[in-house]
Amino acid sequence: MNAFQYATAQSNASARELAGAKGMYVAGGNDLLGLLKDYLVPAPDILVNIKALPGMSQIQRGDKTWAIGALVTVAEIEDDPDIRETFPGLHEAAAEIASQQIRNVATVGGNLAQHSRCWYFRHRDTVCLKKGGDLCYALNSDNRYHSLFTGNTCISPVVSSLATMFAALDATAIVLRDSQETRMSMDDLYHAAWENPLAHNSLKPGDLITRVEIPVARHRSTYMQVSDKHTFDWALVSCAAAADVDGGKLSSPRVALGSISPVPHQVEAANAFLDGRTLDDATASAAADMILAGAKPLEHNGYKMPLAHALIRRALSKLVA
Amino acid sequence: MSSWPSQTKYIGAETRRIDAPQKVTGQARYSSDIQAPGWLYGMILRSSLPAAKIGGINVDKARQIPGIKAVVTLGDGERTVHFYGEELAAVAGTTKQACLDALRAIEVDATPMPFVVHETDAKKTDSAKVWEGSPNFGGPSTREHGDVDSAFSECAAIIEGFYTTPVQIHNPMETHGNTVSWTDDGVTCWASTQGISSVKDSLSGALQVDQSQVRVITEYMGGGFGAKFNAGVEGILAARLSREAKAPVRMMLTRFDEALAVGNRPSSFQKIKMGALADGTLHAFEMDNYGTAGFAAGGATGGGGSGVELPMPYLYRVPNSRVSQTVVAVNAGSARAFRAPSNPPASYGMESAMDDLAVKLGMDPVEFRLKNDPNPIRQREYAIGVEKFGWKDKYKKPGSSPGIVKTGVGCAGAAWPAGGGTRSTKGEASIYPDGSVEFRLGVQDIGTGTRTVIAVVAAELLGLTPEQIRVRVGDTNFPPGPGSGGSTTCPSVAPTVNDICSNALQQLQTLSGVADARGDNWYAACKKLGVTPLTVHGQWQPGLSESRACGVQFAEVAVDTETGFVTLKKVVAVHDCGLIIDKLTLESQINGGVIMGMGYALYEERVMDDLSGVVLNPNFETYKLPGIADVPDIDVVLINMPERGVIGIGEPATVPTAAAIGNAVANALGVRVSSLPITPAKVLAALGKVPPVASTTT
Repeated sequence: MNAFQYATAQSNASARELAGAKGMYVAGGNDLLGLLKDYLVPAPDILVNIKALPGMSQIQRGDKTWAIGALVTVAEIEDDPDIRETFPGLHEAAAEIASQQIRNVATVGGNLAQHSRCWYFRHRDTVCLKKGGDLCYALNSDNRYHSLFTGNTCISPVVSSLATMFAALDATAIVLRDSQETRMSMDDLYHAAWENPLAHNSLKPGDLITRVEIPVARHRSTYMQVSDKHTFDWALVSCAAAADVDGGKLSSPRVALGSISPVPHQVEAANAFLDGRTLDDATASAAADMILAGAKPLEHNGYKMPLAHALIRRALSKLVA
Repeated sequence: MSSWPSQTKYIGAETRRIDAPQKVTGQARYSSDIQAPGWLYGMILRSSLPAAKIGGINVDKARQIPGIKAVVTLGDGERTVHFYGEELAAVAGTTKQACLDALRAIEVDATPMPFVVHETDAKKTDSAKVWEGSPNFGGPSTREHGDVDSAFSECAAIIEGFYTTPVQIHNPMETHGNTVSWTDDGVTCWASTQGISSVKDSLSGALQVDQSQVRVITEYMGGGFGAKFNAGVEGILAARLSREAKAPVRMMLTRFDEALAVGNRPSSFQKIKMGALADGTLHAFEMDNYGTAGFAAGGATGGGGSGVELPMPYLYRVPNSRVSQTVVAVNAGSARAFRAPSNPPASYGMESAMDDLAVKLGMDPVEFRLKNDPNPIRQREYAIGVEKFGWKDKYKKPGSSPGIVKTGVGCAGAAWPAGGGTRSTKGEASIYPDGSVEFRLGVQDIGTGTRTVIAVVAAELLGLTPEQIRVRVGDTNFPPGPGSGGSTTCPSVAPTVNDICSNALQQLQTLSGVADARGDNWYAACKKLGVTPLTVHGQWQPGLSESRACGVQFAEVAVDTETGFVTLKKVVAVHDCGLIIDKLTLESQINGGVIMGMGYALYEERVMDDLSGVVLNPNFETYKLPGIADVPDIDVVLINMPERGVIGIGEPATVPTAAAIGNAVANALGVRVSSLPITPAKVLAALGKVPPVASTTT
C-alpha cells in the first residue's frame, strides 16, 4: 500500500479536522486495509483512527428508539441478549457476517460503509466501471453474484447484512456531515450507488457515521441468507423482514433484500400490500412477486429470482410463526 | 525374506503423531518459518495480461527503491506471455513493502494479444491461438474395444449424459515457496516440497551447480497434493536473487499466486453414452471428452502428467467401448499432478452415468455396481458399506423424498492403480550406547504422518515404544527417499525401516552377544557397544508392500429445492490399504480425502474471465473451500489386509467422494446436476426454476 499518516482522534470534531479532504477513517479496518493493500481506492494521505471517539461504542436502549453506536462491533450485536429479544433479526444478521474473528473487530459503521465485493472491482488487474474504467465487466461476463436491479450500468450489489436488516427495521443512520447531524434512511445511505457507478454509498469525504437509530416499532423481525457454503460466505441473496403481528395480521411490515441491487431492495407497494393482512402462502407469494417485479436477470444470476422469492416467503412466514 | 510380524503391538494400532506436541505448540518450523541469517524477502512480478508480446522489462526504477538488494528478470529480450500470472521478474529486499513497491516500479513493455480462457471457446476454429501458428488442440486420442456401434443396438437401456468438472486448484495451506541461499560453497534450499530429491535435482540442473553442492531441507511443510515436486520458477528465482544479493532469499508465494501459476487439476467435459443388457450387464460405452491442462500440458513446470485423459470406463468391465479424448490449450496456468490425477473426474463421469443407467434399468445402484465391478475387494467393501450406511433403508426412488428439503443417497467406488513402494528407498539408523536410537531417511513428511510411520514400525520391530524412536527426515544429506506422491510414501518407507531394523538387530546382537536385543534387553545390549554408536543401513525390500488400494464411499445429502442449497449430512468411507500401520493417521488421511472431494463436489472452481483473461477468484473469498461447518459426519471403515503388505491411501481416499455426492443429489432431486461444483444456482437450474435471460446487454 501507499504510505500514509496515522492519527487517533479524540472527538468527532478533531476526527473530521484530521481527516481533511483526503483522509479516511479507520475502525475495525477489515475492509479498508484490503482496499489499500490492493490499491483499489485513491490513496488517503492520512488514516484517522476513530476507535477512541466518545459515545460511539454504546448501545442505548430507549422505549421508543434504540441507538447503536457506529463503533459497536458486530460480535457485540450478535451477543447482546436484549437485541436478541427486541430485534431478533438484527441478531440473526450479525451472526451471519463473515467469521467470528472478523465479527470481533468489525464495526456497525464499517459494515455499512464497506465497499463493493464485486470480483471485478476487487481484482487488482481489471479496471472496471466502478474504478473509473469504461466497462462493467460483470454486465458482459461472469455476473453470477451480481444485481437483479440497478439504476445505472454498474451491477455491483450492496452486501451489508446489517444494512439489509436495518432497512427492514426502518432504521436511520446518523451521519455527521459538515458539523451537522444528517439523518439518512438505508435507502438514502446507498442511493448514490443506485445512480452512480463510481459510488458504493452516499457518504461524502469527511462524512462520519456516528450511530444507527432503530424505532422499537416492529416486535417481530428476521434475517435469512443463502450462500454457497454454510458459514463464512457472502450471501447469494439475503432477506430481512420486520413487522408487528397481531392475531396473525401483519402490521407495519417491511421487507428488504440484499445482494440483488446496489441498495437494500425494498418495494413500498409490497409493504403496503402486506400491511393488515393475514399471512398465508398466496399472500406471501404475491408479495414476493411484487418485490421482484421488474428484475432484470442476466446470463448467470437468474437463479437469484427463485432464491429471493423463496427467502421472502420464508422470512414472512417466520414473522408470523 | 522380510516379513511383517503376525502379532503386533503398535502396527495397526492407534499412535498419536510423534510430532504432535511440536505442531500444536508452534515449535515445528515449517518452510515458511525459516529465517536464515540475513534473509531477504523475495517477490515475483507476474503478467497482468493473459497473452502478450513482451518487448522488454525495465527494472532500473525498482533497483532504486530503498531496501531492494536484487532484481532479476525472466527471459532476455522479446518473449511471449501465455497466461495471466506468468512470471516476468523478481525482486529481493529487506521488507515486504520494499518488494511490493519495487514490483510496481518495474516497467513492462507489453503488447496485448488475443487470448482464450475457456475450453469450449478454444475448440472453435476461429478461436484465438494459445500458441501462435498452432491449433489449440490436436486430433483426439482414441481407444476402441469390441464393436461399439452394433453393441448399442443390443442394449435394453441406454443413457446419454454430459458430465463436466471444473479446474480445481491445489491450495495447500502452506503456499509454494522456499528460502534459498546460494553462495560459492553451494546452494541450500529450505523448500516447502513433496520431494527434496527432485528439488535438489531440478535446482542443480537449472543453476548448473553440482548435485554435491546442493542441499534441500524440509523439516515441516504444509501440504502439496501433487503440486510441489520441483524447485519451480519460485525456487530458481529465489536462488538467482540470493546469488545477486549475497543473502538468503525467502520466496513464499501468496494465496493470489497459488491460483495462477503453480498447478491445478484439469477440467473435463465428458459426453458419455452407455448401454446395458436387460439383466444389467454393461454392454457398450462411448465417451468423447475434452479438457484443459492450461497453456501447456504441465510437463514444463513440473509435477507430472496433465491428467486430462481419463481412464474410462474406469472401474467397470464393458466389452465394447470407444473413448475419444482431446487436450485443449487455453491461456491459463498449467496443470500439475493433483491427488489421484485423472481419477476424481473419471469417477464423477462414470459413476454419474452408472446411476443414470441404473435408474433407467430400474436397478438398485449398488446391485448394478456389484454386477459390473470385477474387483473382489470392492465387492466386499460395498457389502460392508451397505450395512454401515443403512443403504437398503435409505435408498429410495429418485425424487421421491417428500417435502421441500429432499434427502438423497449415492455411492461410488475408488481405485488407485499405483500406491506401491519406491524400490530405491534407503535409510539409516544410529544406535547409541545409552539406548537412544535415531532413524534418518531422505524422505519428507508432507503432513501425512511419515515420521510417525517410521517410529511405529521401528518401535514394533525393536520392541521399543514410538516415543523412544527419534526420527529425522527432510534432508538430502540423509539416504535418499522417494517423493511423497502417488500414495507411495508409506509403502516405500515402512519396508525400508523394516530392513534397517533387521540389520540393526543382527549387528547389535552380534556385537553385544545378547541373543535377542529387543524390548527388555535393548538397553543392556546397547550398553555393550561401549563408546561407539552403531550405524546401520537398510533399503526397501520386496514382499512387504503392494499397490492398488480400493475403496467405496456412500454419501447422504439434504437438498433445499427452493434455495438450491446442498447439505452433505453423512459420508461412510470404506477403504483398504493392505497392512495398516497407524490407524489414526490413516483415518486422518481419509477424512482429508473426503473433505477435499466434498470441496470438488460442492464448492471449488477456478473461474476464468472471458473479457479480461484473469483468474477471477484468486482468494479464499470466492474460491470456496469447505469450512468445518460444511464438513459432514464422516464414518471411516477400514479393512486391514496384512497379507497384502503396506499400501498407500492418499489418493484413493479422495477419488469417489464427489461422484457419491453428485449421485446423492441426483437421487434427492430426481434430476441430475451434471456439472461440478453443485452450487445452489445449478440446483435451481436443474429443477427448471431459473427464468430465461431477459436480454443480453452489451
